[in-house]
Formats: sequence, C-alpha cells, structure tokens
Amino acid sequence: MDHSHGHTLKAFDQDLTELRNLIADMGSFAEAAIEEAMRCLVERDVAAAAELVEADVQLDELEAEAERRVLELIALRAPMADDLRDAIAALKIAGVVERIGDYAKNIARRVRRLPKKGDIEPLSLLPEMAKIASSMVHDVLKAFVERDPARARAVCLRDDALDDFYESIFRTLLTYMMENPQNIGPSTTLLFVAKNLERIGDHATNIAEMVYFAATGERLTESEQA
Amino acid sequence: MNHVLERRAEEAVAAAAPAKIDVRQLDFFYGKTQALKDVDLAVPADAVTAIIGPSGCGKSTLLRTINRIYELYPDQRAEGEIVIDDRNILDPRYSLSKLRRRVGMVFQKPTPFATTIRKNVAFALSYYERLPKPELSDRIEDALRRAALWDEVKDKLDASALSLSGGQQQRLCIARTLAVRPEIILLDEPTSALDPISTAKIEELIDELRRQFTIVIVTHNMQQAARVSQRTAFFHLGELIEVGDTSQIFTNPRVQRTQDYITGRFG
Repeated sequence: MDHSHGHTLKAFDQDLTELRNLIADMGSFAEAAIEEAMRCLVERDVAAAAELVEADVQLDELEAEAERRVLELIALRAPMADDLRDAIAALKIAGVVERIGDYAKNIARRVRRLPKKGDIEPLSLLPEMAKIASSMVHDVLKAFVERDPARARAVCLRDDALDDFYESIFRTLLTYMMENPQNIGPSTTLLFVAKNLERIGDHATNIAEMVYFAATGERLTESEQA
Repeated sequence: MNHVLERRAEEAVAAAAPAKIDVRQLDFFYGKTQALKDVDLAVPADAVTAIIGPSGCGKSTLLRTINRIYELYPDQRAEGEIVIDDRNILDPRYSLSKLRRRVGMVFQKPTPFATTIRKNVAFALSYYERLPKPELSDRIEDALRRAALWDEVKDKLDASALSLSGGQQQRLCIARTLAVRPEIILLDEPTSALDPISTAKIEELIDELRRQFTIVIVTHNMQQAARVSQRTAFFHLGELIEVGDTSQIFTNPRVQRTQDYITGRFG
C-alpha cells in the first residue's frame, strides 16, 4: 500500500524519515567498511586495517541511537500498521547492520596475518566477491529507505551468486593448500575472509526479508525468493 | 499455553464464532441524510468488537440501531436487517421491551438517576422482574460486583449516586445494565469523559465481561480499541470499510483507507 498522504502530525513524518536516514547511514558505514577492509587486505595495509577495527565502535553507537529512536517512536507516537512494521524493521535492521560491520572488522583484523609481500593467487577472486556483498548491503538499505519490496526481493536472488563464489573460492584455496603446505596459513586466512563475505550476503538477505515484510505486510517465502 | 499464542487462538475463535448479531444490508437515514450505507457486519458472541472511524462515520448510529433507540425520533429510520439469534430485531413486531432487556447500552457520559446507588441498580430490575427482597439485594450485589464497584460502595448503597466520582458513576451505569442480565452490551465511548485510571478500570471490566457477553464498543480512541477488542470494524462516511481481527487491523490492514486512518494520515 502507498503512503497516500503524510501524517496529520507532521513531526511524526519527520521522526520516521530521520529513523530511515539513520539506518541508511549505518548501511553506508557498513558498506564502506567492507570495501575498505578489502582494500587493506589486497594492499596489505596493516595500519589502515587497524584504524578500521577501531572505527567499528561508531557503528555500535549508531545502532544504540537507532534503538533509542525506535523506543521513543513507539512510546511517544504509538505507530500503527505500516508505521509500526517500519519501526520494528528499523530496530532489527540496525542490529543486523551492526553485525555486518563486525564481519568487515573481522576481515580487517586478518590483514596482518597475511605475508607482507608476494602474490597470493586466490586473493584476486575475493574483491569480486566483496563487491557483490557490499552491493547487496547497499541495495537492501536503499530498498528500506524507499520502501521498495521488489528491490528487496532482487537482493535475495543475488545471494545465490555469492554462495557460488564462496564454493568456488573454497575449492581454489583447497587446491592451493594441497600444492604447498606453506600456503596453508594464508589460505586459511582467506577462507575465513570468504566465509565472512558469504555471511554478509546471508545477513543482507535477512534484511531483505524484513524490508519486504515492512513494506507489504506479507512474508517473503523461500519459493518466492527464487 | 503461552499467552501470546492464547491471544491468537482467542482471536481465531472470535473470527470463527457464529454471529451473535448479524447486520445485513443495513441503511440508516436521519431524515434525508443517509448515515449508514449497505452495512453487512457479523458480530461474534462472547468477544469485544470495536467500531472505529472518524466523527460522522456512522459508528454511534450503528449502536443506536442495534437497540432501536432511534425509534424515539420520528424522522429516523432503518432499512435492512439486524438478526439476533435468528430473529430480525428491526421488525416492528419484535418487542422493544424484550430487545432492551437483551441488549444493554452504556453512554459516553455517565447517566446515573438522581437517586440512591441501590435504586439505580434496582430500577430496571424491578421493571422486568418481580423479585422478593432478599433476592433483589443479591442481584444488586452481583451486578455491582461484576461492574467492579461493590467494594467501593457496599457501605453506602443508600447514598446518592451523584456523590460518586465520574468513573464510579460509569461503572454504576454498567452495573445497572448488567443487573437485568442482558446478552449484548453496547458501549458508546464509555470512557471518553473519564480520567486514565477510571478508564483502565473500565477497560479491565470490559475484558472480564467479554467472557459472558457479546460486547460492541464504539471508541474514538484507537489505542483503546486495540487494547480491549478482539475484532475491529472500521467505518468511514457511513460505510463499513474493513473488519478483521484486531491484531490484523492494527498491524496489517488490507484497505488503504483503514491504514491511512489508523496511522494518522487521514485527509
């Protein structure tokens, strides 16, 4: 259903818009963190990676702010119907985006475990995978801000591509490890990174389901995602 | 059962229950002005049905039709049927006194009679039944207890009803309605003149009573509808726009106009 009018009480609209923007800011932060973590990984930029780990606390603060705003909105505005579904979705999405930030942080933490120099062949695949993951995060938050269930559903479809990527990287790294036991250390690190990216995709899919429900009042079932 | 699941189950029962009041193709006119248009509404037994909608939507008119109070006014008329237990109560042959006994009504402003608390409750009772004195006393006590007022008035039954607070007066009116043991209770904005604590007491009372009575409540206060009812019907400009389980109406209405109203986006 559309929002055919704004609320009679305009401050309510403003509260909802600010809440949406706050969640969008969290999404942008997480998206940027994924990209920066990958850059650090590829360029073995240990110093920047450490800064990124430190910066994650900001995302925690944004999550706390989102929670505070949702509580206030429920207590003071008594939202109903789609407004209520939006408020609850915002609260849940904030928690998931914070988790996505943690995965980006985990990736950044692993940068110092890689050798400072020399090519690690499978590393060339990871940035592509990260691009899909961060674009899923980007699009799903855009879907939330724009109340766009079709866009949310499209994000779910891309999760399969991410899963396939993970499978392929997994096999590549396995081969790499078998070739030379010296590769086991760095390969394991990269495998964790791939796993983190795969998890980010799963969380983006969860957010997509929340966005779809908030916008339509209907659950997005597994079969509809396909 | 977990009480959340229990509430779901209660709503499912309310939705599936046979209609105690079945409103069929009801039109209502104040002179030439049509206040209700082709309303079909099934009100389930032993549950609270809330009627919500903006002023002038026809919600109070519907209540006035269910107990035929409009007949007092010559230029008001209803067309269609209101079936209670297989009988169309709009049929002029249906006895008004029988109807009023089955269908009690409580109004927005407390309407105690200017007499004692005891006589307020006894009044309708003596109209319908000839009871020996001890039994009359028992029935008065029973009605006051059910209305959650007994403990506050048991020592002053012969005091004037007008000495009670607004909230107590409203509970007295509910006791007066309950005394004749109706099957259906109509509440027209029963708490709009009351403070929050009295309101909470009346709402608690409604929740108690719904196990034995079919209750229809008209309210401007959507939070109240959400708190006390299992079914909610939304009216706009004399039409029934949407009816459903209260939790569905307030979390996921199906009709745009309902959503606009309950989220405060109307007009």
